[in-house]
Amino acid sequence: MTRNTSHSSSSAPDPSRRTVLRAVMYTAAAVPFGLPLAACATGGGGETGETSAAPTGDADPKNPFGMAENTTVDAVIFDGGYGVDYVEFAGEVFAGLHAGSSVKVSPSTQIATELQPRFVGGNPPDLIDNSGAQSIGFNTILDQLEDLTDVIDAPNVEGTTIRDTLYEGVLAPGTYGDKFAALNYVLTVYGVWYSGSLFEDNGWQPPATWEEAKALGAEAKKAGKYLFLWGTEAATYYQTLAIESAIKEGGDEVRLALENLEPDSWSNDAVQATFAIMKEIIDLGYFKPGGSGTQFTAAQAQWSNKMEALLYPSGSWIENEMKDQTAPDFQMMGVPSFSVTSGAQMAPTALHSTAGEPFIVPTDAKSVAGGKELLRVMLSKDSATNFSKTKLAPTIVKDIVPADGFGSTALVSQTDMLSAAGSDIYTFNFVNTYGMNQEQLPIWNSFLDGKKSVADLTKELQAISDRIREDDTIDKIEVS
Amino acid sequence: MTAIPGRALPASEVTLAGPGDGPRKGRIGKTSFDSVSFFVVFLGLPLALFLIFVIWPFVQAAFYAMTDWSGFSAEFNFVGFDNFAALLTDPRFVNAVGNSVMFGIFIPLITIAIALTFAILITVGGSAKGQIRGVRGSGFYRVVSLFPYVIPAIAVGIMWRLILDPSNGLVNGVLTALGLDRFQSFAWLGNVSTAMPVTMLVVVWGFVGFYMLLFIAAIKGVPSEIYEAARIDGAGRMRTSWSITLPLIRDNVQTAYIYLGITALDLFVYVQALNPQGGPDNSTLVMSQQLFRTAFTEGKFGYASAMGVAMAIVTLVFAALVFTVNRLTGGKSEGGRR
Repeated sequence: MTRNTSHSSSSAPDPSRRTVLRAVMYTAAAVPFGLPLAACATGGGGETGETSAAPTGDADPKNPFGMAENTTVDAVIFDGGYGVDYVEFAGEVFAGLHAGSSVKVSPSTQIATELQPRFVGGNPPDLIDNSGAQSIGFNTILDQLEDLTDVIDAPNVEGTTIRDTLYEGVLAPGTYGDKFAALNYVLTVYGVWYSGSLFEDNGWQPPATWEEAKALGAEAKKAGKYLFLWGTEAATYYQTLAIESAIKEGGDEVRLALENLEPDSWSNDAVQATFAIMKEIIDLGYFKPGGSGTQFTAAQAQWSNKMEALLYPSGSWIENEMKDQTAPDFQMMGVPSFSVTSGAQMAPTALHSTAGEPFIVPTDAKSVAGGKELLRVMLSKDSATNFSKTKLAPTIVKDIVPADGFGSTALVSQTDMLSAAGSDIYTFNFVNTYGMNQEQLPIWNSFLDGKKSVADLTKELQAISDRIREDDTIDKIEVS
Repeated sequence: MTAIPGRALPASEVTLAGPGDGPRKGRIGKTSFDSVSFFVVFLGLPLALFLIFVIWPFVQAAFYAMTDWSGFSAEFNFVGFDNFAALLTDPRFVNAVGNSVMFGIFIPLITIAIALTFAILITVGGSAKGQIRGVRGSGFYRVVSLFPYVIPAIAVGIMWRLILDPSNGLVNGVLTALGLDRFQSFAWLGNVSTAMPVTMLVVVWGFVGFYMLLFIAAIKGVPSEIYEAARIDGAGRMRTSWSITLPLIRDNVQTAYIYLGITALDLFVYVQALNPQGGPDNSTLVMSQQLFRTAFTEGKFGYASAMGVAMAIVTLVFAALVFTVNRLTGGKSEGGRR
């Protein structure tokens, strides 16, 4: 009996190499299964975060939000084109104002992935710069954010009410419904940028209409250059340009149709006229080929450093972004986006400008008051001046940039465009609100490559708007 | 099963029982400290780790796949199989599955074909006279071909992106220098017709060296007498490769196919480095990329979990297919070769 048993054990199915490998393989196969879970577990997390000490009626102007003593403010700042040192600067000012308290600035380029577990766990940071390609969609976290109206109504460090020191309309992009949830710190001016010195040497004028742009394209070709170029991740800069031109042409009607994702919003005459002339310029070969395979900063350097193309549509961050890759004496300057016809609804000086870099304070944060206090410091004169001086970009705080623009032609040109536009300032948000950019990029890459007709472009962009409008799981934000 | 005291074991049984076993106690035996601690350390601990870090996340993923969890709050509603129903009609996800399947078919096929050819050349492809050996300098090739595998995937992606840059890249530089003017500013990663093949090429480039090494090890395990016999019978190199090498290392090829398939069905790092926005007309968008986008930029973790479950199913189906095809084409059954 014993014999038999021992023999049968030796011929039993042994865990052969293959069975082991197969087990390993099943495990590996299931890895993607666990991927989104790397940090979830909704179960944990204390919901016991201290609620913010509501500012009392007669708040101390030096500490309007009643921040506790010896607070360490936890700030997570998007480390993008503007870096994080401007918040560190404000942190030092903050520490000077509140002995014992300090600011801990953590840079991040992956805001959503990094902060997702902290939001779920109920311990988000006190202040976040929710910006960049990996930012958190606002419709996802809106009900977990503080209303920042009390920051705007507080006195700044110099004693003036903050609201009175800001440019017009800068609170709009951070207002969702009736909640002012995000304070957008940096004023961004959108336009078409060029080299002042190159244009002067060749006697060229920056175009004001698309027809003039087309004529300039012929000039550029003669000089062995292109009119435009693009990079694959930034192909939608041309969508921004097209929308701007269409809004200038057709007025608010065009803007509202697009913002509210209306059916046929991309088929509007003004939009179509813009697409048509762009297509004409593409077909004439005035776009540098190969953009759909070029990394976008490499493409931008072909404009700012090698000057292979004359014009580049972008926001005003472009100067700081390309600081190290700009030809000496480039003299970057900007013009507002082109009008389509002389019968446009808006003046040629009308400008797309909005505030960017949304700063948010989560309600569950350990020190809501600390987050707001740091914002208050950032909106005061010293911090705002420091930002404009080091980043060569205006903040939402008025009267900071001197006439010489700290030596930057682009900054001077931005303030000039802003004052020329007066109250003719508009903006649109639907692309960011619904996170449409990623989906629109491939379409624009193909269009700029000359592979798509205007009809294809229109149809595919409309399909995205339609899908989001029809999807009931996506919260819509009505724009009027 | 029971031990018989005082009974002497035959010699054959001693060798089978293993060292230090002494008189047989049976397979289960008494619960001594020795056996309990053995089970705890070698069975309990791994099992616990497996349950906590592998099985539990799966269960969680499957659960969240049936909710509308946004990912940024602790609240969610149970929605049953709605997410899965939505997946089937989501054109973006269906497109991503299609692309992933293309990668899953071609990357393993091309990688294995190239790796196998090189492995054969290096081990048995040398001179037809004298001892069985590889081509001259095979040691050098073996080392060099492993280099790409040593580079991290993300570095491979970034490097190739620069090499393929339309205006300043090496590829177009060489092609235009050869007088092929149509490659002036040609966007390899920006054209629907080239983006996917080029992406495959980059992945294959990264993996060939490693799988070549795997096959070399397998071929070295084949007794050289078999090759000598075949040679005496007049078999050429092609014939030997096809009729001797390939059947004898079949198991290794199957394993390699499955591993490569799993890599190719994921591929997140490579596509994210080469074409982060999904490629021209989304022609290189893969499941994992769409999953990541849905979770983190669109804030739909429940739906993204459903994608994760779908991805796991696709991968398991792929593995099952490979096993079936191997079995049907004459591969041996489970017991392994004896």
